[in-house]
Amino acid sequence: MTTGSVPKRFSIPIGPQHPALKEPGHFDFSVDGEVVTGATVRLGYAHRGIEKAAENQNWVQNLYLLERICGICSHIHATAYCLGVEKLADVEAPPRAQAIRVLIAELERVHSHLLWLGVTAHEAGFDTLFMYSWRDRETVMDILESLTGNRVNYSANMLGGVKFDVTDDNRKAIERGVNFLETRTRHYLNVVTTDQVFVQRTRGVGVITREQAEQLGVIGPTARASGVLRDVRVEAPYAAYRDIPVQPVIETAGDLEARFVVRLKELFESYRLIRVILEQMPPGDLNVRMPRRPKAGEAISRVEAPRGELFYFIKSNGADNPERVKVRTPTLCNMASVLVTAVGQQLADVPMILAGIDPCFSCNDRAVTISKAGDATSAVWSWQQLRQYSQAYYRRRL
Amino acid sequence: MKIGSMLVDILRSLVHPPATQIYPSERRPAPDRLRGKLHWNPAQCVGCGLCSKDCPADAIEIITVDKQNKRFVMRYHADRCTYCAQCVKSCRFNCLQMSPEDWELAATNKQAFTVYYGDEHDLQRLVERNTQPDAEPAKTG
Repeated sequence: MTTGSVPKRFSIPIGPQHPALKEPGHFDFSVDGEVVTGATVRLGYAHRGIEKAAENQNWVQNLYLLERICGICSHIHATAYCLGVEKLADVEAPPRAQAIRVLIAELERVHSHLLWLGVTAHEAGFDTLFMYSWRDRETVMDILESLTGNRVNYSANMLGGVKFDVTDDNRKAIERGVNFLETRTRHYLNVVTTDQVFVQRTRGVGVITREQAEQLGVIGPTARASGVLRDVRVEAPYAAYRDIPVQPVIETAGDLEARFVVRLKELFESYRLIRVILEQMPPGDLNVRMPRRPKAGEAISRVEAPRGELFYFIKSNGADNPERVKVRTPTLCNMASVLVTAVGQQLADVPMILAGIDPCFSCNDRAVTISKAGDATSAVWSWQQLRQYSQAYYRRRL
Repeated sequence: MKIGSMLVDILRSLVHPPATQIYPSERRPAPDRLRGKLHWNPAQCVGCGLCSKDCPADAIEIITVDKQNKRFVMRYHADRCTYCAQCVKSCRFNCLQMSPEDWELAATNKQAFTVYYGDEHDLQRLVERNTQPDAEPAKTG
């Protein structure tokens, strides 16, 4: 017996608070049975107003504010900002400082990729891999703590250089840790490519073809898993990457398995780079004198964060504070690929497809442009309009 | 293709002690570079205030007790501090250090996080000045 009309499609809203990831994002999936037929996303729940805050702090203070955009790739944010401000001030950090920056960036990439491996394995229900990869990740966290003095926000950078040197003890600890991690990574690469149960969840799932990757502007390891070479370290080398070339890792399958393989193989490349930097550490100073106020002008700095290209635009008018700091994090570029690849997949695979791009929502939430439903015109609201809107909104709810 | 590719890890863990530590009964020594509580040595301070200017968290206040004789007192807010050590680098006279030992800073009251550093005599003068109703308020900066 049927009453009324039976809807042909169901819409499943997920989020902002959802069990898949620890960060807020709203997804709306329309499904036909178990198969996803359409997807939309709404971001912006973790907007923190960091860009505006950066306009009210001086150049030195901003280093620590911007370092806190991301808890996982904190060092690379500070590096991008430092490179930009140094460009504005016509100052270049000494070669030893550049090498130490790259050393910490690669250690950070190791920690980020191992963290991602655990999170995505957890999404697949493979909690054994999650537990063991996170146990091994402690090795690199300990290295970073002994090298920089902190586990997460390393504060290694300062404008004009770095804060500390790499001692012989540090060097030995890093070499020991990297040797251990290399054997473990080989084991994990073997697990993710041969474990029958796990491979069923990853092989042929969430395929981004090369054409799609290029069309959607996918970046970082996600693009490299689809056979597109997008790596700032290779295409526009910065800091010590100019002297130490990076061998890019490319896979062509474009599915979730390829994303695992690319990230794990990149770990080997990072281990190699870490060893080369320790071997060829240039002698010299750790920092140069920086003017308190960089000259008026604009600078763009691009670096390769663990998730892909990180972009900074910095504008100075010669004052104590920057006039504008614009940050674009890699998650924003990769988010569109989730919506496209989710269509046609099983709903149960969607959390893994989302985790496959290594999303970082709070890094990515910058500014909100509001467009009214049914109204094609969108506008950026002024502070006054936003205040009025929020007051009216809460009054309605009361 | 195989099943249970991590079985060896699991079986090996049966004979290994856990990777986690039972803090605080078991504790690993802190690394030498750990950035703990900030310590200030007033002897060399000229009161330039660069530490407080560069502090991203507004955690440092340098209070002038006697400008002529360069007597200063420092009020440090350990709860605001982000432990980035920028102040240590900004100070040209090496007055500031972050202690690697002093890092277990939890307290049950908020007062414990406001720390005064300085010469005992200067601190006494600051207290006297603040308790006198007609006195000028302490100048910061």
